[in-house]
Amino acid sequence: MKIIYHLIVLLLTMNLIWYLFREKQFWTQVSTAIVLIMFLLRLFLIK
Amino acid sequence: MKKKIKKHHLIALCLLCLTGALCWLTGVQFLSMRKTDTFYPSPGLSAQTKLSDYFSQLADSPGDTAVYCFKGEEEGGNLLILGGTHPNEPAGFITAVLLLENITVSRGKIFIIPQANLSGFTHDDPFEGNPQKFSLETPGGRRWFRFGSRLTNPTHQWPDPTLFTNAAGQALSGTEVRNLNRSYPGKEKGHLTEQIAFGIMELIKKEEIDLSLDLHEAAPEYPVVNAIVFHENSAELAAIASMELQMEDIDIRMEASPPSLRGLSHREWGDHTSSMAILLETANVSHGRLKGKPSEALIVEGKDPNYVKASKLGMLFVPYSEDGIPLKERVARHLAAVNALVSGLRELNPDHAIHIGNFPPAQTVNKRGIGLYLHPPK
Repeated sequence: MKIIYHLIVLLLTMNLIWYLFREKQFWTQVSTAIVLIMFLLRLFLIK
Repeated sequence: MKKKIKKHHLIALCLLCLTGALCWLTGVQFLSMRKTDTFYPSPGLSAQTKLSDYFSQLADSPGDTAVYCFKGEEEGGNLLILGGTHPNEPAGFITAVLLLENITVSRGKIFIIPQANLSGFTHDDPFEGNPQKFSLETPGGRRWFRFGSRLTNPTHQWPDPTLFTNAAGQALSGTEVRNLNRSYPGKEKGHLTEQIAFGIMELIKKEEIDLSLDLHEAAPEYPVVNAIVFHENSAELAAIASMELQMEDIDIRMEASPPSLRGLSHREWGDHTSSMAILLETANVSHGRLKGKPSEALIVEGKDPNYVKASKLGMLFVPYSEDGIPLKERVARHLAAVNALVSGLRELNPDHAIHIGNFPPAQTVNKRGIGLYLHPPK
Protein backbone atom coordinates (compact mmCIF):
# COMPACT_ATOMS: atom_id res chain seq x y z
CA MET A 1 0.00 0.00 0.00
CA LYS A 2 2.89 2.32 0.87
CA ILE A 3 4.40 1.76 -2.60
CA ILE A 4 1.09 2.67 -4.29
CA TYR A 5 0.92 5.84 -2.17
CA HIS A 6 4.50 6.74 -3.09
CA LEU A 7 3.88 6.11 -6.78
CA ILE A 8 0.75 8.30 -6.82
CA VAL A 9 2.49 11.16 -5.00
CA LEU A 10 5.65 10.79 -7.10
CA LEU A 11 3.64 10.97 -10.32
CA LEU A 12 1.84 14.12 -9.18
CA THR A 13 5.10 15.66 -7.94
CA MET A 14 6.81 15.03 -11.29
CA ASN A 15 3.80 16.58 -13.02
CA LEU A 16 4.07 19.67 -10.85
CA ILE A 17 7.81 20.04 -11.50
CA TRP A 18 7.23 19.62 -15.23
CA TYR A 19 4.47 22.28 -15.05
CA LEU A 20 6.74 24.59 -13.04
CA PHE A 21 9.31 24.58 -15.86
CA ARG A 22 6.77 24.74 -18.69
CA GLU A 23 4.74 27.63 -17.27
CA LYS A 24 5.71 31.15 -18.36
CA GLN A 25 3.52 33.21 -16.01
CA PHE A 26 5.51 34.11 -12.89
CA TRP A 27 2.64 33.99 -10.37
CA THR A 28 1.40 30.66 -11.71
CA GLN A 29 4.93 29.32 -11.21
CA VAL A 30 4.89 30.60 -7.62
CA SER A 31 1.51 28.95 -6.99
CA THR A 32 2.88 25.69 -8.40
CA ALA A 33 5.92 25.91 -6.12
CA ILE A 34 3.68 26.37 -3.07
CA VAL A 35 1.64 23.28 -3.95
CA LEU A 36 4.89 21.42 -4.62
CA ILE A 37 6.02 21.92 -0.97
CA MET A 38 3.09 19.82 0.27
CA PHE A 39 3.65 17.13 -2.32
CA LEU A 40 7.36 16.87 -1.50
CA LEU A 41 6.61 16.58 2.23
CA ARG A 42 4.09 13.85 1.49
CA LEU A 43 6.52 12.11 -0.82
CA PHE A 44 9.02 11.82 2.04
CA LEU A 45 6.19 10.81 4.43
CA ILE A 46 6.77 13.86 6.60
CA LYS A 47 3.63 14.83 8.46
CA MET B 1 27.21 27.94 -29.88
CA LYS B 2 26.22 28.80 -26.33
CA LYS B 3 22.65 27.83 -25.38
CA LYS B 4 20.87 30.57 -23.43
CA ILE B 5 18.71 29.55 -20.47
CA LYS B 6 15.18 30.82 -20.87
CA LYS B 7 13.98 33.29 -18.24
CA HIS B 8 11.03 31.20 -17.07
CA HIS B 9 13.28 28.16 -16.70
CA LEU B 10 15.65 30.16 -14.52
CA ILE B 11 12.71 31.32 -12.37
CA ALA B 12 11.47 27.72 -12.13
CA LEU B 13 14.92 26.59 -10.98
CA CYS B 14 15.06 29.31 -8.32
CA LEU B 15 11.55 28.43 -7.13
CA LEU B 16 12.49 24.76 -6.99
CA CYS B 17 15.46 25.59 -4.76
CA LEU B 18 13.23 27.76 -2.57
CA THR B 19 10.69 24.94 -2.39
CA GLY B 20 13.45 22.57 -1.27
CA ALA B 21 14.56 25.01 1.44
CA LEU B 22 10.99 25.47 2.70
CA CYS B 23 10.48 21.69 2.69
CA TRP B 24 13.60 21.29 4.78
CA LEU B 25 12.50 23.99 7.27
CA THR B 26 8.97 22.62 7.69
CA GLY B 27 10.22 19.03 7.56
CA VAL B 28 12.52 19.66 10.52
CA GLN B 29 9.52 21.04 12.46
CA PHE B 30 7.32 18.07 11.60
CA LEU B 31 10.07 15.53 12.28
CA SER B 32 10.76 17.04 15.71
CA MET B 33 7.53 15.37 16.79
CA ARG B 34 9.09 11.96 16.16
CA LYS B 35 11.68 12.50 18.89
CA THR B 36 10.73 10.25 21.78
CA ASP B 37 9.86 11.67 25.19
CA THR B 38 12.13 10.83 28.11
CA PHE B 39 10.53 9.59 31.31
CA TYR B 40 12.25 8.97 34.61
CA PRO B 41 10.58 5.98 36.31
CA SER B 42 10.63 5.90 40.10
CA PRO B 43 13.03 3.54 41.91
CA GLY B 44 9.99 1.35 42.54
CA LEU B 45 9.96 0.23 38.88
CA SER B 46 10.26 -3.55 38.58
CA ALA B 47 10.46 -3.94 34.81
CA GLN B 48 10.12 -1.94 31.64
CA THR B 49 8.80 -3.93 28.73
CA LYS B 50 7.14 -3.22 25.41
CA LEU B 51 3.64 -3.90 24.15
CA SER B 52 5.28 -6.20 21.57
CA ASP B 53 6.21 -8.52 24.46
CA TYR B 54 2.49 -9.28 24.61
CA PHE B 55 1.85 -9.21 20.87
CA SER B 56 5.01 -9.83 18.88
CA GLN B 57 3.65 -8.46 15.59
CA LEU B 58 3.99 -4.95 17.02
CA ALA B 59 7.78 -5.29 17.38
CA ASP B 60 9.66 -2.50 15.56
CA SER B 61 6.38 -0.93 14.46
CA PRO B 62 5.39 2.69 15.27
CA GLY B 63 2.72 1.27 17.57
CA ASP B 64 5.13 -0.52 19.91
CA THR B 65 5.00 1.42 23.15
CA ALA B 66 6.63 1.18 26.58
CA VAL B 67 4.93 -0.69 29.42
CA TYR B 68 6.14 0.12 32.95
CA CYS B 69 5.56 -2.56 35.57
CA PHE B 70 5.59 -1.95 39.34
CA LYS B 71 5.43 -5.17 41.31
CA GLY B 72 4.86 -5.35 45.04
CA GLU B 73 6.51 -7.92 47.30
CA GLU B 74 3.12 -9.19 48.38
CA GLU B 75 0.66 -10.87 45.99
CA GLY B 76 -2.44 -8.81 45.30
CA GLY B 77 -4.52 -7.39 42.50
CA ASN B 78 -3.31 -6.21 39.10
CA LEU B 79 -4.02 -2.74 37.75
CA LEU B 80 -3.53 -1.30 34.26
CA ILE B 81 -3.38 2.47 33.74
CA LEU B 82 -3.48 3.78 30.21
CA GLY B 83 -2.57 7.35 29.28
CA GLY B 84 -2.14 8.80 25.81
CA THR B 85 -4.86 6.81 24.10
CA HIS B 86 -5.62 10.21 22.58
CA PRO B 87 -2.36 12.22 22.55
CA ASN B 88 -4.28 15.52 22.35
CA GLU B 89 -5.76 14.86 25.81
CA PRO B 90 -2.74 15.70 27.95
CA ALA B 91 -4.23 15.18 31.43
CA GLY B 92 -4.45 11.41 30.87
CA PHE B 93 -0.91 11.23 29.53
CA ILE B 94 0.60 13.46 32.25
CA THR B 95 -1.25 11.58 35.03
CA ALA B 96 0.32 8.34 33.80
CA VAL B 97 3.77 10.00 33.67
CA LEU B 98 3.32 11.44 37.16
CA LEU B 99 2.43 8.01 38.52
CA LEU B 100 5.30 6.18 36.84
CA GLU B 101 7.80 8.77 38.09
CA ASN B 102 6.63 8.56 41.70
CA ILE B 103 4.89 5.44 42.87
CA THR B 104 6.11 2.36 44.65
CA VAL B 105 3.97 -0.74 45.04
CA SER B 106 4.07 -2.93 48.14
CA ARG B 107 1.20 -5.22 47.18
CA GLY B 108 -0.10 -6.26 43.77
CA LYS B 109 1.11 -5.19 40.35
CA ILE B 110 0.60 -1.99 38.39
CA PHE B 111 1.17 -1.69 34.66
CA ILE B 112 1.39 1.83 33.24
CA ILE B 113 1.32 2.66 29.54
CA PRO B 114 1.75 6.45 29.31
CA GLN B 115 1.59 6.64 25.50
CA ALA B 116 -0.94 4.02 24.47
CA ASN B 117 -1.09 5.30 20.90
CA LEU B 118 2.55 6.22 20.39
CA SER B 119 2.00 6.86 16.68
CA GLY B 120 -0.53 9.59 17.56
CA PHE B 121 2.26 11.47 19.36
CA THR B 122 4.29 11.78 16.14
CA HIS B 123 1.97 14.27 14.43
CA ASP B 124 -0.77 16.74 15.22
CA ASP B 125 -4.29 17.32 13.95
CA PRO B 126 -4.43 19.12 10.60
CA PHE B 127 -6.20 22.51 10.52
CA GLU B 128 -6.24 22.79 14.33
CA GLY B 129 -3.16 24.98 14.70
CA ASN B 130 -2.28 23.29 17.97
CA PRO B 131 1.25 23.66 19.35
CA GLN B 132 3.40 20.59 18.86
CA LYS B 133 4.60 20.64 22.46
CA PHE B 134 3.80 22.05 25.87
CA SER B 135 6.03 22.46 28.89
CA LEU B 136 5.78 22.13 32.64
CA GLU B 137 8.11 23.77 35.13
CA THR B 138 9.83 21.39 37.56
CA PRO B 139 12.11 22.45 40.44
CA GLY B 140 15.09 21.45 38.27
CA GLY B 141 14.04 23.01 34.98
CA ARG B 142 11.39 22.93 32.28
CA ARG B 143 10.15 19.66 30.84
CA TRP B 144 8.59 19.41 27.39
CA PHE B 145 5.92 16.97 26.31
CA ARG B 146 4.45 16.31 22.90
CA PHE B 147 0.89 17.34 22.15
CA GLY B 148 -0.18 14.93 19.44
CA SER B 149 -3.26 13.91 17.55
CA ARG B 150 -6.33 11.93 18.52
CA LEU B 151 -5.55 9.55 15.66
CA THR B 152 -2.69 7.34 14.50
CA ASN B 153 -0.28 9.06 12.10
CA PRO B 154 -1.54 8.47 8.52
CA THR B 155 2.06 7.87 7.43
CA HIS B 156 1.91 4.80 9.68
CA GLN B 157 -1.55 3.66 8.60
CA TRP B 158 -3.00 4.53 5.21
CA PRO B 159 -5.52 4.80 3.59
CA ASP B 160 -8.63 5.41 5.68
CA PRO B 161 -11.69 3.55 4.39
CA THR B 162 -14.94 5.44 3.67
CA LEU B 163 -16.63 3.48 6.41
CA PHE B 164 -14.83 1.65 9.19
CA THR B 165 -16.42 -1.38 10.78
CA ASN B 166 -14.40 -2.25 13.85
CA ALA B 167 -13.69 -5.74 15.19
CA ALA B 168 -16.70 -5.42 17.51
CA GLY B 169 -18.97 -4.80 14.50
CA GLN B 170 -19.66 -1.08 15.00
CA ALA B 171 -19.77 0.94 11.78
CA LEU B 172 -18.01 4.31 12.10
CA SER B 173 -16.75 7.09 9.85
CA GLY B 174 -13.56 6.22 7.95
CA THR B 175 -11.07 8.30 9.96
CA GLU B 176 -12.02 6.42 13.14
CA VAL B 177 -9.99 3.51 11.75
CA ARG B 178 -7.03 5.36 13.33
CA ASN B 179 -8.75 5.98 16.68
CA LEU B 180 -7.44 3.55 19.29
CA ASN B 181 -10.52 4.02 21.44
CA ARG B 182 -12.78 2.80 18.64
CA SER B 183 -10.63 -0.17 17.71
CA TYR B 184 -11.08 -2.59 20.62
CA PRO B 185 -10.94 -5.55 20.92
CA GLY B 186 -8.56 -5.16 18.01
CA LYS B 187 -7.49 -7.58 15.33
CA GLU B 188 -4.39 -9.73 15.16
CA LYS B 189 -4.07 -9.11 11.43
CA GLY B 190 -5.78 -5.75 11.29
CA HIS B 191 -4.53 -2.19 10.76
CA LEU B 192 -1.82 -0.82 13.05
CA THR B 193 -4.35 0.79 15.43
CA GLU B 194 -6.32 -2.46 15.65
CA GLN B 195 -3.07 -4.30 16.37
CA ILE B 196 -2.26 -1.87 19.22
CA ALA B 197 -5.75 -2.49 20.63
CA PHE B 198 -5.19 -6.24 20.25
CA GLY B 199 -1.83 -5.94 22.07
CA ILE B 200 -3.46 -4.12 24.99
CA MET B 201 -6.17 -6.80 25.18
CA GLU B 202 -3.43 -9.46 25.24
CA LEU B 203 -1.70 -7.65 28.11
CA ILE B 204 -4.96 -7.50 30.09
CA LYS B 205 -5.54 -11.22 29.54
CA LYS B 206 -1.97 -12.45 30.12
CA GLU B 207 -1.39 -10.34 33.23
CA GLU B 208 -4.87 -11.14 34.57
CA ILE B 209 -5.59 -7.47 35.17
CA ASP B 210 -8.31 -6.91 37.78
CA LEU B 211 -8.93 -3.26 37.02
CA SER B 212 -8.16 -1.39 33.78
CA LEU B 213 -8.28 2.39 33.62
CA ASP B 214 -8.24 4.50 30.46
CA LEU B 215 -7.51 8.19 31.14
CA HIS B 216 -9.06 10.74 28.79
CA GLU B 217 -10.22 14.33 28.40
CA ALA B 218 -13.20 15.83 26.62
CA ALA B 219 -14.51 19.24 25.63
CA PRO B 220 -16.57 21.06 28.30
CA GLU B 221 -19.52 21.17 25.88
CA TYR B 222 -19.51 17.36 25.64
CA PRO B 223 -22.00 15.71 28.03
CA VAL B 224 -19.67 12.91 29.16
CA VAL B 225 -17.15 15.02 31.05
CA ASN B 226 -15.84 15.01 34.63
CA ALA B 227 -17.12 11.47 34.58
CA ILE B 228 -16.40 7.88 35.40
CA VAL B 229 -17.55 5.77 32.46
CA PHE B 230 -17.96 2.22 33.71
CA HIS B 231 -18.69 -1.18 32.26
CA GLU B 232 -21.51 -2.98 34.08
CA ASN B 233 -18.91 -5.32 35.62
CA SER B 234 -17.45 -2.36 37.53
CA ALA B 235 -20.65 -0.48 38.46
CA GLU B 236 -20.24 -1.15 42.17
CA LEU B 237 -16.60 -0.06 42.14
CA ALA B 238 -17.46 3.10 40.21
CA ALA B 239 -20.21 3.89 42.73
CA ILE B 240 -17.83 3.47 45.70
CA ALA B 241 -15.18 5.64 44.01
CA SER B 242 -17.76 8.25 43.05
CA MET B 243 -18.96 8.53 46.66
CA GLU B 244 -15.41 8.85 47.92
CA LEU B 245 -14.71 11.60 45.39
CA GLN B 246 -17.92 13.44 46.29
CA MET B 247 -16.80 13.34 49.94
CA GLU B 248 -13.56 15.02 48.85
CA ASP B 249 -15.66 17.74 47.14
CA ILE B 250 -14.76 16.45 43.69
CA ASP B 251 -17.92 16.49 41.66
CA ILE B 252 -17.93 13.53 39.30
CA ARG B 253 -20.76 11.94 37.37
CA MET B 254 -21.24 8.27 36.68
CA GLU B 255 -21.92 7.19 33.12
CA ALA B 256 -22.76 3.61 32.25
CA SER B 257 -20.95 2.31 29.17
CA PRO B 258 -23.65 1.96 26.47
CA PRO B 259 -23.82 -1.73 25.43
CA SER B 260 -24.54 -0.75 21.83
CA LEU B 261 -21.54 1.58 21.45
CA ARG B 262 -18.85 -0.87 20.45
CA GLY B 263 -15.10 -0.60 20.11
CA LEU B 264 -14.42 1.57 23.16
CA SER B 265 -12.11 0.50 25.98
CA HIS B 266 -14.79 0.63 28.72
CA ARG B 267 -17.02 -1.66 26.65
CA GLU B 268 -14.66 -4.18 25.04
CA TRP B 269 -12.23 -4.62 27.96
CA GLY B 270 -15.19 -5.56 30.13
CA ASP B 271 -16.87 -7.76 27.51
CA HIS B 272 -13.77 -9.67 26.36
CA THR B 273 -11.71 -10.00 29.54
CA SER B 274 -12.33 -10.58 33.23
CA SER B 275 -11.01 -7.10 34.03
CA MET B 276 -13.18 -4.35 35.44
CA ALA B 277 -13.16 -1.59 32.84
CA ILE B 278 -13.33 2.13 33.56
CA LEU B 279 -12.67 5.26 31.54
CA LEU B 280 -12.14 8.66 33.17
CA GLU B 281 -12.89 12.03 31.57
CA THR B 282 -11.86 15.55 32.59
CA ALA B 283 -12.78 18.85 30.91
CA ASN B 284 -10.20 20.32 28.54
CA VAL B 285 -10.95 23.55 26.66
CA SER B 286 -8.07 23.07 24.21
CA HIS B 287 -10.00 20.04 23.02
CA GLY B 288 -13.25 21.94 22.48
CA ARG B 289 -14.87 23.40 19.38
CA LEU B 290 -15.51 26.79 20.98
CA LYS B 291 -11.87 27.50 21.76
CA GLY B 292 -10.06 30.63 20.61
CA LYS B 293 -6.47 30.69 19.43
CA PRO B 294 -4.75 27.38 20.29
CA SER B 295 -1.62 27.84 22.37
CA GLU B 296 0.57 26.19 24.96
CA ALA B 297 -1.08 28.41 27.60
CA LEU B 298 -4.51 27.16 26.56
CA ILE B 299 -3.37 23.57 27.15
CA VAL B 300 -1.65 24.24 30.47
CA GLU B 301 -3.78 27.03 31.96
CA GLY B 302 -7.07 26.11 30.30
CA LYS B 303 -8.35 29.70 30.17
CA ASP B 304 -10.53 30.76 27.27
CA PRO B 305 -12.95 33.73 27.20
CA ASN B 306 -15.18 31.92 24.68
CA TYR B 307 -15.84 29.24 27.27
CA VAL B 308 -16.66 31.85 29.91
CA LYS B 309 -19.36 33.17 27.53
CA ALA B 310 -20.53 29.63 26.75
CA SER B 311 -20.78 28.90 30.47
CA LYS B 312 -22.91 32.02 31.03
CA LEU B 313 -25.17 30.85 28.22
CA GLY B 314 -25.54 27.47 29.96
CA MET B 315 -23.95 25.57 27.08
CA LEU B 316 -21.39 23.64 29.14
CA PHE B 317 -21.63 20.49 31.20
CA VAL B 318 -19.06 21.63 33.77
CA PRO B 319 -18.71 24.83 35.80
CA TYR B 320 -16.34 27.23 34.03
CA SER B 321 -15.10 30.66 35.14
CA GLU B 322 -12.36 33.18 34.22
CA ASP B 323 -9.93 31.00 36.21
CA GLY B 324 -10.26 28.29 33.57
CA ILE B 325 -9.65 24.58 34.13
CA PRO B 326 -5.86 24.23 34.29
CA LEU B 327 -3.96 21.05 33.52
CA LYS B 328 -2.94 20.69 37.19
CA GLU B 329 -6.62 20.57 38.20
CA ARG B 330 -7.43 18.03 35.48
CA VAL B 331 -4.46 15.84 36.46
CA ALA B 332 -5.41 16.17 40.15
CA ARG B 333 -8.91 15.01 39.26
CA HIS B 334 -7.53 11.93 37.48
CA LEU B 335 -5.19 11.20 40.40
CA ALA B 336 -8.02 11.46 42.92
CA ALA B 337 -10.19 9.16 40.80
CA VAL B 338 -7.42 6.56 40.36
CA ASN B 339 -6.77 6.64 44.11
CA ALA B 340 -10.49 6.28 44.90
CA LEU B 341 -10.83 3.36 42.47
CA VAL B 342 -7.81 1.55 43.94
CA SER B 343 -9.19 2.04 47.44
CA GLY B 344 -12.62 0.88 46.21
CA LEU B 345 -11.01 -2.29 44.79
CA ARG B 346 -9.40 -2.91 48.19
CA GLU B 347 -12.82 -2.66 49.81
CA LEU B 348 -14.63 -4.84 47.25
CA ASN B 349 -12.01 -7.51 46.81
CA PRO B 350 -9.52 -7.56 49.72
CA ASP B 351 -7.67 -10.56 48.26
CA HIS B 352 -6.89 -8.50 45.18
CA ALA B 353 -5.99 -5.30 46.98
CA ILE B 354 -3.24 -3.06 45.62
CA HIS B 355 -1.10 -0.95 47.96
CA ILE B 356 0.59 2.06 46.44
CA GLY B 357 3.22 4.23 48.11
CA ASN B 358 4.36 7.77 47.17
CA PHE B 359 1.08 8.39 45.35
CA PRO B 360 1.13 12.06 44.27
CA PRO B 361 -1.57 13.72 46.40
CA ALA B 362 -4.29 15.22 44.23
CA GLN B 363 -4.82 18.25 46.46
CA THR B 364 -1.12 19.18 46.46
CA VAL B 365 -0.88 18.74 42.69
CA ASN B 366 -3.90 21.01 42.30
CA LYS B 367 -2.52 23.64 44.70
CA ARG B 368 1.20 23.59 43.96
CA GLY B 369 1.36 22.28 40.41
CA ILE B 370 2.34 19.16 38.51
CA GLY B 371 6.01 20.06 38.22
CA LEU B 372 6.59 19.41 41.91
CA TYR B 373 6.10 15.69 41.27
CA LEU B 374 7.87 15.49 37.93
CA HIS B 375 11.49 14.41 37.69
CA PRO B 376 13.67 17.34 36.59
CA PRO B 377 15.06 17.08 33.04
CA LYS B 378 18.58 15.69 32.70
